[in-house]
Amino acid sequence: MSEYNKILKENVWYNNPVFVQILGICSALAVTNNLTNTFIMTIAVSLVTAFSSLTVSIIKGFIPRKVRMIVQTLIIAFYVIIVDIILRAYLPDISKSLGPYVGLIITNCIIMGRAEGFAQSNGPIISFWDGFTSGLGYLVVLMSVAFFRELLGFGTLFGIRVLPEEFMSWTIMLMAPSAFFMLAIFIWVAKGIMLRKEAK
Amino acid sequence: MKKDSKLYVVVFTFIVSFVFVFLLALANELTKERVKINEELFQRKAILSAMGIEYNSDEEAYKFFDEKIKVKKVKDIDVYISNVNGEDVYAVIFVGNGLWSTIRGVLAVNKEFTEIVGIDFITQSETPGLGGRIEEAWFKEQFRFEKIKDGKIEMIIGGTGKGDFDHENGKFEAITGATRTSESVANMINNYLSVLKDLLGGEL
Repeated sequence: MSEYNKILKENVWYNNPVFVQILGICSALAVTNNLTNTFIMTIAVSLVTAFSSLTVSIIKGFIPRKVRMIVQTLIIAFYVIIVDIILRAYLPDISKSLGPYVGLIITNCIIMGRAEGFAQSNGPIISFWDGFTSGLGYLVVLMSVAFFRELLGFGTLFGIRVLPEEFMSWTIMLMAPSAFFMLAIFIWVAKGIMLRKEAK
Repeated sequence: MKKDSKLYVVVFTFIVSFVFVFLLALANELTKERVKINEELFQRKAILSAMGIEYNSDEEAYKFFDEKIKVKKVKDIDVYISNVNGEDVYAVIFVGNGLWSTIRGVLAVNKEFTEIVGIDFITQSETPGLGGRIEEAWFKEQFRFEKIKDGKIEMIIGGTGKGDFDHENGKFEAITGATRTSESVANMINNYLSVLKDLLGGEL
């Protein structure tokens, strides 16, 4: 059990894919101006990472080295399309509001990173857990960025107005560049806390 | 067979591709009907809301569409006709290029062609949170009973960011950060306003 705990802590904090490994940044810039979209996108990424790591780990013994990465990409694309099909059939409103982003999960470096770096050399269950917790690490950072962007950009949280109507919304928060600033601030704060802990 | 031999690589790649593509085709086939129903429902709801007919549920949307809307084919274009609060309303489905994708929507006007009754969108894949906001109520409400000036509608760039609700000026406000998508919507509406004008002046 301690190994699972260790992986959780590593993936969510000490070795977080976004603010330590600087992976998956593209979607951090794109989807984070709205909490609802961010939430669904990050859950989808977590599930795709978990299941593709599980699958890669199960069939790793049969994959020839030469076509290793192509097979991993095929597996990732398979799960992404499955998520897209499920959303279109059972959650059409969400599928509509996420637009092209679901398909773009294929390009998320975290998924390939976990498949190549962990699932290729570990057992299926622990690979599933590693994939899922990496997704959680991604979720935590993106939701934090989205919280401030939506709050200051629209004055709302999950589409519900929390700041008064008179609040002059910060339009820059809705544009992709603001995610750069937010992410930089997030990395600064998180690394600051980490370094302070280490110093102690 | 050696795992790195050419034959193994080819056979393995073929089997893996076959299995995953087969499963995808299966999932697609199993959900095809549902997706079709969803798309049909989106279209019906968009036509109803562009025409200003209110509904409370999906079932009601189906019912009202069948009861209240007539479809007439004029010059190969489906024109949706209804009488809303004693006024004849005409609607057409418009299609055009957005910034990233094809946008499909509905444009409804009154019989005298003096105002837009409303617009709604059926499908679009614009940037979520930016161009994708064309689906938000405030954006669409800008067009509700908006006067048509010289057969067209004008877009305001750099407005308040909250929309232009003066329905007499024939103008609407672009979405901040999504000017290109807003511009595409304006072009599409203006194109289809002229299409509708021809249809209204002709056989309708």
